[in-house]
Amino acid sequence: MATQEESIAAVIARFPDDVVGQGVHAGQHWVFVKRERVIEALQLLRDTLGYDMLMDLTAVDYLNQGAPERFCVVYQLYSLASNEYFRVKTWVPEGDPTVDTASDLWKSAPWGERETWDMFGITFKGNKDLRRILMPTDYPGHPLRKDYPLKGNGERFNFPKYSR
Amino acid sequence: MGLESWMPEGALTTRVDELVKWGRKNSLWPMPFGVACCAIEMMATLTSRYDLSRFGSEAIRFSPRQADLMIVSGRISIKMMPVLAKIWEQMPEPKYCISMGACASCGGIFDTYTMVQGVDNFIPVDVYIPGCPPRPEGLIDAVIKIQEMVANEKMSKRH
Repeated sequence: MATQEESIAAVIARFPDDVVGQGVHAGQHWVFVKRERVIEALQLLRDTLGYDMLMDLTAVDYLNQGAPERFCVVYQLYSLASNEYFRVKTWVPEGDPTVDTASDLWKSAPWGERETWDMFGITFKGNKDLRRILMPTDYPGHPLRKDYPLKGNGERFNFPKYSR
Repeated sequence: MGLESWMPEGALTTRVDELVKWGRKNSLWPMPFGVACCAIEMMATLTSRYDLSRFGSEAIRFSPRQADLMIVSGRISIKMMPVLAKIWEQMPEPKYCISMGACASCGGIFDTYTMVQGVDNFIPVDVYIPGCPPRPEGLIDAVIKIQEMVANEKMSKRH
């Protein structure tokens, strides 16, 4: 079982050209991996470094904030044996919002991927069940994108009216 | 003299209209559409402290087919609105609706992409209760207002 510092070193040693950044805040470390290699990095963390639980899979929209790309997909890992958290992030461009699925690694991944697709419109290649999970099935758009209007596009008035 | 002389002791005469309205107004069975914190106040109204059964409305019916008063208590999202409409459709006439609290009446603080801005956009509401959430006294007042409405309308207006 590896500590977070050792895990970062191991990921960099394995993917020296594909780790584009790292950081730490409040004792929690994260590493940026290119999205072509993110599944391999997750597999390394799961199989070799002991992060056996995917706690959360979500995304952040960095619209007009000077980030390298607009979206950032975040994988929050947890090691049950060593009680350590670890975070893997990957940049996703606006023109091609696609990431490979992690559903072969964790059974919990499809749920997070469905939510991320529902809210941000990021497609996960290989996920066989990419349906909406929170919004109604016929909802247009992806409401957690920063350019989505706060009051919606009129969806909330799109119902039949009953009278006496 | 008159009909009373033919009747036994203890009987009285009235009009069918009045009798039916008297029965309706004193047995309003609520369908609790409780989806948020207003529902907690609705439950408090039913407890012995506030005791909605004093007004004949203690028989909460979770089947809309047995209810005649819908209490919409809580914020309604656009995913919940078709459910609410379906339940409203299933309630038999005569039916009445109380919109309890700010969210059910106008959306409240939830002016967002996913929240219906007042159920009165889609179903007819008879009495609105302001407050976030309203106190049980507010709900009792609304039930009494519905009772006054029932007592003052023509029976033939609602079939």
